[in-house]
Amino acid sequence: MSTKHTIAAEKFLQNSEKVTRHDQTFWSVRVKRDAQSQELPEWEELREAASQIKKHTITHLAEYLEKFEKNATKNGAIVHWAKDADEYNEIVMDILHKHQVKKVVKSKSMLTEECHLNDHLIKHGIDVVETDLGERILQMMHLAPSHIVMPAIHITREQVGRCFEDYKISPEVGNYDPTYLTRCARYHLRDNFMTADCGMTGGNFGIAETGDIVVCTNEGNADMSTSIPKLHIVSMGLEKLIPDYKAMGVFHRLLARCGTGQSTTVYTSHFRGPRPGGEMHIILVDNGRSKILGNEEHWQTLKCMRCGACMNTCPVYRRTGGYSYTYFIPGPIGINLGMLKDPDENYHNLPACSLCCSCDNVCPAKVDLSSQIYRWRQGLDGMGHADPMKKFMSKGMQVLFESPGLYTTALKFAPIANHLPKFITEIKLNGWAQGREMPVFAKQSFHELWKKGKVKA
Amino acid sequence: MSTRDEILDNLRKNVRETYDMPDLGFKKRIFEDPVKAFIETTTTTAGAKLMEIKPNDDINEKIHEAYPDAKIISSNVPGIKADRNPDTVAEAQDLDGTDVGVIMGGVACAENGCIWIEQTMKEKAICFISECLIVIVSKKNIVSNMHEAYEHIQFNEKYNFGTFISGPSKTADIEQSLVYGAQAARGLTVFLTE
Amino acid sequence: MGFYTKKNMKIGLFIPCYVDALYPQVGVATYKLLKSLGLDVDYPEKQTCCGQPMGNAGFQNMADELVENYDKLFKDFDYVVAPSASCAAYVKLFHPNIVNHECKAAQKTMDVVEFLHDVLQIKSLPSKFPHKVSIHNSCHGVRELHLSSPSELNIPRFSKIKDLLQLVEGITILEPERVDECCGFGGMFSIEEPAVSVRMGTDKLNRHLATGAEYITGPDSSCLMHMQAIAKHQNYPIQFIHVVEILAAGL
Repeated sequence: MSTKHTIAAEKFLQNSEKVTRHDQTFWSVRVKRDAQSQELPEWEELREAASQIKKHTITHLAEYLEKFEKNATKNGAIVHWAKDADEYNEIVMDILHKHQVKKVVKSKSMLTEECHLNDHLIKHGIDVVETDLGERILQMMHLAPSHIVMPAIHITREQVGRCFEDYKISPEVGNYDPTYLTRCARYHLRDNFMTADCGMTGGNFGIAETGDIVVCTNEGNADMSTSIPKLHIVSMGLEKLIPDYKAMGVFHRLLARCGTGQSTTVYTSHFRGPRPGGEMHIILVDNGRSKILGNEEHWQTLKCMRCGACMNTCPVYRRTGGYSYTYFIPGPIGINLGMLKDPDENYHNLPACSLCCSCDNVCPAKVDLSSQIYRWRQGLDGMGHADPMKKFMSKGMQVLFESPGLYTTALKFAPIANHLPKFITEIKLNGWAQGREMPVFAKQSFHELWKKGKVKA
Repeated sequence: MSTRDEILDNLRKNVRETYDMPDLGFKKRIFEDPVKAFIETTTTTAGAKLMEIKPNDDINEKIHEAYPDAKIISSNVPGIKADRNPDTVAEAQDLDGTDVGVIMGGVACAENGCIWIEQTMKEKAICFISECLIVIVSKKNIVSNMHEAYEHIQFNEKYNFGTFISGPSKTADIEQSLVYGAQAARGLTVFLTE
Repeated sequence: MGFYTKKNMKIGLFIPCYVDALYPQVGVATYKLLKSLGLDVDYPEKQTCCGQPMGNAGFQNMADELVENYDKLFKDFDYVVAPSASCAAYVKLFHPNIVNHECKAAQKTMDVVEFLHDVLQIKSLPSKFPHKVSIHNSCHGVRELHLSSPSELNIPRFSKIKDLLQLVEGITILEPERVDECCGFGGMFSIEEPAVSVRMGTDKLNRHLATGAEYITGPDSSCLMHMQAIAKHQNYPIQFIHVVEILAAGL
């Protein structure tokens, strides 16, 4: 009955201490989020407002995009449209070529991951430098991110230290103090900011009324990337648009509280147009989003602001880690987005959920994450991806439960199972017995007790 | 059909039900004393330092008091004795090596220590490339929350950039260990004026 | 619905399949408790299962006949009471979608804790249970049936389970850290992702044990069953009891 997630998760769980650390790390962010939410009496109203603002904007997206484009263009930005990842990558390369760019400094963008931009640029001879510390560490170690906000949390200081030594950016060999290592990265990245030809950022929000692109960071790397090189390329998914500053107030107050448990990120930068002597390009990317809008059961994933709160609260994510999922975004939102992007690749993640519904309650935009996972499961059989054992067991249950006579007979004989020897019950095929004792069937079921008149007041 | 038209067309076609903009008039948390709250937030969660500046204070002395070891000061604020000026440097790179950058702040938010920085200089790099930042904020500009803050942000049309900064840059990317001074300012001092 | 006195209400007892087979004493306690409160309680024998195991596994379409049978069987009662939060939640929230029509029985279905707290609003019980218990706040009870305030939400704190247990003489009520984190049962999840499920269950068990309680209690026998299976495997010295059994203790 196992999928790729089950198998990967099992491996991850073998290192019990690592799992404890991983679980504690992300739970502590959930706790910080809780503390932040408790400070604002209007917290639940903010969430409801965010949900409604997104629903409104997404269902009027064409108008808002036109408004945004008009205002951004008026500010001097150049707006591009990309229908898919290929077109997006081409547009970026085109701009880089025109400006004879050799080195790009990048701040975090899940969209660029989605479109595999880095690989494309590297293939075309561009030096791509990730400037978010976590992303840069992963880039140097040739690893994928394990979380969308804290991508390298699972890497130990020793691993980082050794990696920096290999790259000759850590002069004090054997010093694995995080402050020291962060300084090493600072000097190393500073060199890159100084010599880059282009800065690329994502966009946390696009503001239709004014044409602003808003980028939130703690490190200031998006700002360093765009204050030194004169060419700025913004990559933003269509769904990131919001109407105006009134809406921005709501989202600002939710984003960092939900994502990292802070009341704000250090930097909330509003980019309107190019720098003196520079150029600002904004690439609006569809890559399946307009299609998702038409999906009645799953369009609300477009409300997601990529904060990561759902992962932090997910008991399965915390104990299995980002690498157990087949999609580059893990956790509850990743399960849903993965199915939308490529169900044949990503149905493996659907079992990674006990349907506890905690994610629904932490999501700042009230995406109905657990309900969507439940609905994807119903559709699996139709896609040809239903697990045959699950289907068989469900069919068995259907037959049993549809016939009260058969059911009560089964109950009568069930206690025989209590006497099955361990060498039978503990076979690998019996998922229950891996770490658990078999439940004990009552000698007389409730049905039988009732029939025999033994249920009395 | 251009990609743009194709996308807009799909978006219009695929919408089934539409939703209205909600009423955002619900009560938001206000501080009885926003200045006090701002001072608290800035110096604790934001990790900044704060110095109250009296009208008769010599600002250049105060800068020296805040950062006695600073050798290179950058600023375009009138009255500041600066070694480099972000309006007149040839390139943004020329601001590297700035020990202290001094900039003006606009509206400031008590709930999170955010200070609005309107770009009023040719090279905004001063706000990020300086080792330490001094941001001059007036008590009169302090509000309680971001809803109020967003009503007061301003953009200089020439530069079209602004940012909220709350404290020095930070990261916890290595084992969740908090470190100040990631890619931008290692330290930030708010000069709070009347 | 009009105004009913307790004596007029006809209660239909729904005993979920696994309670039927593994923990019939929970069903007996439910019956005893409701009768002791002066209610007219009946148990339609042709009942089997609410359909949740198939539904959560992705085969809710296999449960449509089950749903129709449930509706037929229970539609004439004033309330259908089940000693299982997740089953009551499944009936209420999912049955109407499976058969695409209004389900009268589903609308009247309640978990026994909900029923005692919200409908009967009982303010006293003759029960005695002089033991330390740790409340297991089952996910569907918390987040679908609102038996207690979910820890994620900024809403006034409440717990219907605590309110009821506080009526029991001699009891000491405790709650674990991570008060409503999932135990890892999740139906088929427990056998499809056994490694995660057991780890989640073990972690939850350890938090309950850390309270010093003698019993773990909750509104859902499925969670208790899962943790009990791990506890037995690890020889943990803790006992398990459904909330309704405590409320009926001594009857």
